[in-house]
Amino acid sequence: MPELLEKYSRQVLFPEIGEKGQARLIQSKVVILGCGALGTVQADALCRAGTGSLRIVDRDFLEESNLQRQTLFSEDDVQKGLPKAVAAENRLRQINSSVRVEGLVADVNYKNIEQFVEGADCILDATDNFETRFLINDVAVKYKIPWIYGASVGSYGLSMTVIPFETPCLRCIFESLPPPGISPTCDTAGVLAPIVNVIASIQVAEAIKILTGNSHCINRKLIFFDVWKSSWKQYEIASARSEGECPACQVGRFEFLEGKEGSTVTTLCGRNSVQINQGRENRLDFEQLAKRLRPLGAVHFNQFLLRFNLDNFEIAVFQDGRGIVRGTKDPNVARSLYAKYIGA
Amino acid sequence: MPIQVRIPVQLRTLTNGEEVVSASGKSVLEIIEDIERKYPGVKDRICEADGKVRRFVNIFVNAEDIRFLDNLQTPISDDDEVSIIPAIAGG
Repeated sequence: MPELLEKYSRQVLFPEIGEKGQARLIQSKVVILGCGALGTVQADALCRAGTGSLRIVDRDFLEESNLQRQTLFSEDDVQKGLPKAVAAENRLRQINSSVRVEGLVADVNYKNIEQFVEGADCILDATDNFETRFLINDVAVKYKIPWIYGASVGSYGLSMTVIPFETPCLRCIFESLPPPGISPTCDTAGVLAPIVNVIASIQVAEAIKILTGNSHCINRKLIFFDVWKSSWKQYEIASARSEGECPACQVGRFEFLEGKEGSTVTTLCGRNSVQINQGRENRLDFEQLAKRLRPLGAVHFNQFLLRFNLDNFEIAVFQDGRGIVRGTKDPNVARSLYAKYIGA
Repeated sequence: MPIQVRIPVQLRTLTNGEEVVSASGKSVLEIIEDIERKYPGVKDRICEADGKVRRFVNIFVNAEDIRFLDNLQTPISDDDEVSIIPAIAGG
């Protein structure tokens, strides 16, 4: 322990952490779901801070356009075509060999999320879509695991900390998923690295408070930050816990974890295509969606169907949000493309 | 006196790119209706057909969520600021 305390001395000197807090951090287990922009910043900081164990789950492979903001990766990783979870694990082991790091290449869904978060002291959200966030919320509330929501796009982002049954949960604040196709994503609206760093750093600070026994110091508001407009605001949300009728933390109905809400994915035999069914009533605004996608690839639409071509893939979406991704049989690739370009 | 309303990115195509717009009204509903008069289509993106605020959108008066005030009937004073905050997806 003495040499470990030397390693983390600048953090131990911070009185709210001290030796006791550091000892707790070294014993703790964190799960990071997603390893893109937010996830790499979180993993880097928590690994350097001396978190006992880090499990990182991500479904994607590296692309050159990731390097602008995904801090753990290099050109060499891209050339090798590594999955993000694998490249992250390699880099984190170089950064701090005292931390147990586990990178898992997987699509987080309602069938497997319980096994990924088992034993976690804290879950960090680093996903790129609403559906997985609602799923994280369900599993975290069910097993009373603190988790930290964070999201960013363009130059702005949001974060809130959830301690189940003590603070409002995500569904207390955002009661349902937005329909697909209306929300900007990093792949349609772009994203600046600084906002990712701000939001991920807020999440890491919250995690460190929880893991070092300082839960009484957590942020209990919804934080909005915009690095381009140089503005930030905190919104009161405490009443949502005491006065709301949340299906997850008040009623105990875990619709996303039970697979009753959220999308289903079907590989279409012999067609090199995957169908994504949103499983709820939607009505997409094709004109708005086309406007967002045109800078990125060819878009054609009529009153029934919008087709978007990107490299070797075609995403066709129907008015009700159902999508067919052509050019792959892999559900992970299809889900990822749908989340990035249509937004789910 | 008009107050300031913060418009999220998702709705700025309807407000000619404006991030903050001015609107007048004595309640949140009147403010939304005034914005709708100036920028048609905004109300439909915030409210369901039955008039209730869409479940994935939050409206705050200053720092308070209107669901825990008086919802769309929440009164508005001259110095108030209204923010429309939808969930963000990116990561």
